[in-house]
Amino acid sequence: MEYITKDTYIRRFSISRIIEHWLVAIIFISLVVTGLSQKFYTFEPSMWFVMKLGGIDAVRLIHRITGLFLVFLTVQHIFIASFGVIFRGWRPTMIINKNDFTDAVDNLKYYIGLTGQPAYCDRYNYKQKFEYWGILTGVLLMIITGLILWHPISITRFLPGEIIPAAKALHTNEALLIFLLIAVWHIYNSIFSPDVFPLDTSIITGTISRERMLGEHPLELARIEGLNPEDICRQQQSVTVNSDSKIVPVIRVSDSEKLTPKTDTYTDTIL
Amino acid sequence: MHNRLSCSDCHFGFSSEEHPVRRFKTKRDYSVATSEICRRCHFDKYTRTLEGIHYNLLTQGNLKAPVCTDCHGAHSVYSGRKEKLANAKKCEQCHSEIYNIYSKSVHGGALISEHNEDVPVCSDCHSAHDITDPRTLDFRNTVPQICGNCHANKAIVGKYGLSTDVVRTYLSDFHGVTLGFYKKQRETLTKPTRSIAVCTDCHGTHNISSMRGVSLSVIKANMAKRCEQCHKDATGNFPDAWLSHYEPSLKKASIVFIINRAYEVLMPIMLIGLLLQILLHVWRYAINR
Repeated sequence: MEYITKDTYIRRFSISRIIEHWLVAIIFISLVVTGLSQKFYTFEPSMWFVMKLGGIDAVRLIHRITGLFLVFLTVQHIFIASFGVIFRGWRPTMIINKNDFTDAVDNLKYYIGLTGQPAYCDRYNYKQKFEYWGILTGVLLMIITGLILWHPISITRFLPGEIIPAAKALHTNEALLIFLLIAVWHIYNSIFSPDVFPLDTSIITGTISRERMLGEHPLELARIEGLNPEDICRQQQSVTVNSDSKIVPVIRVSDSEKLTPKTDTYTDTIL
Repeated sequence: MHNRLSCSDCHFGFSSEEHPVRRFKTKRDYSVATSEICRRCHFDKYTRTLEGIHYNLLTQGNLKAPVCTDCHGAHSVYSGRKEKLANAKKCEQCHSEIYNIYSKSVHGGALISEHNEDVPVCSDCHSAHDITDPRTLDFRNTVPQICGNCHANKAIVGKYGLSTDVVRTYLSDFHGVTLGFYKKQRETLTKPTRSIAVCTDCHGTHNISSMRGVSLSVIKANMAKRCEQCHKDATGNFPDAWLSHYEPSLKKASIVFIINRAYEVLMPIMLIGLLLQILLHVWRYAINR
C-alpha cells in the first residue's frame, strides 16, 4: 500500500470545470453590477457606474448580452452533466438524497455539541448541494424572466400583460437572493471558513489535500482509495474526536452507493 | 399696486425745465422700450425673462412677444399672483386656442366654473418669467416633476380623493427609472435623444380630463393607442404590463404582490439561516482548537 502523507493531494476538478467556474464567476459579477445598479437606481454609486458605462441603454445592452453568455454556460452545463450521467456512467453526485437531510441534522448536532462527530459527507455535502441547486434553479428563473423582460411585446402577444411586472418582480428579487447567497454563503465557504482560510484553492489548482478530504468528504475518499467507509471514518475520528468521547458514529450509506472499491481514483463528475 | 410711486419714478429724464422729444415709430416700439424701466426695481424678474422664450422672440424681431406691461399692465399694475383666472386670461390674449382647450379640461373647468384655486394655470407649469420652450426634450423630462408639485402633495390633491402614489409609481417603473437616468445623462454624457413616456403622453397636456367614471374599456382602448406610438406592434395585452399607477395588492396585480411578499419573507429567513450556520461553524471551530 502506498504511504499516505499529510501532503497528499487528490484531484477534485478537471480543467474544464475550473474554466467553467471562472467564466461563470466573471459573467456573474458583470450581471450583478449591471443589474443591481438598475435595481438600486437611487443609490449614488449606481448612478455613477451607469454614467461611466455610457448610460442606461448601454448598461441594459451589456446586461442582456452578458445574460446570453450565461444562457450558453447554463445550457452546456446541463447538457454535459446529463450526457455524462446518462451515457458516460458519471456518478450523479449532486443529486439530493435522504443522507443530505440527516447530514444537516447531524452537523447541527455536532456544532452545538450534542455529538462528537460531524456528518460523513460524500463528494458534495449538503451545503454545497444547497448552494448548487439554489443557484441553478435561480439562474434558470433569471433566464426565463430576463427573456420575458427583454421581449415584452412578443410575450404579451400570447400571454396576459401582468406577466411583465410579475417577471420583473421575480427577476429583481431573485437577483438579490442569488447575490446574497453568493456574497454570504459561497464567499464564506471558499474564503473565510476556518477550514479553508485564506482561500480554498481547489477551484484554482483542481486538487484538494487528502487531509481536507478526510474531514469534509470521507465517503468519497473511501471510494477513491478503495477502502471501507468505516475505516476512513475511523481515520477521521482519530484526527478530530476527543479521546474521552464515547459517541460512536453512525454511517449512513444509501443503497445506491456500492461499497466496492473503484480502481480509477478519479472520474470527471460534473454533478 | 404702485400707488406709492410717482410718475417720474418710471417716466424719468423729464423735468419742468426740460421735456426732450423722443420719437418712436409705433406705439408698440414705445411699450417695448419703456418696459426696460421695470428692471430698475424688479431686476430679478427682469433677468429671468432674459432666459425666457418671449424675450428670445423679441430679440429676433417679433414685437408681438409680450413684455412686462403686457401681462402686468402699465399704470394699473397688479400682481400676477392675485387671482389665478385673471393670470390665465393674460395668456389667452395671445394663446387663445390653447386657452380654449384648457378651459374644457379638468383643471381649466374647475378654475372657471368653480373658481378653484388649487388647479394649475398656465404659469404653474410653464412658469411666468423664464418660460422655456415646452417642445424641447429637456422640458418633457421635467413633466413628472411639474405634475408632482401638486399630485405628490397630499395637502392639495388629497382634498379631491386623488392618490399621491401616482408620481411614485411612475418614477419606480420602467419609464420613470429610464427617465431618471436620461435626465442625469443629459447633464453629463452624450445626450440621449429618445423621448420617454411622461405623464402628459397618456393624460394629455392642456386637455387633461378626469379618469373618474371613464369605463375601463375606453381607458384600455386609449392606452393601446398610446403604447403603440412608441412600442410598435404592441398588441391588446401589452398595456396591462403597466399597472396603471396601482400599487400591487391582493386585488390589483395579485401575482406581483404575492411574489414581492414571498421574497420579503424568504430572503431574511435564508439570510438568517445561513448566518446562523456560519456562526455555529466558527463557534465549533473555536471550541475544537
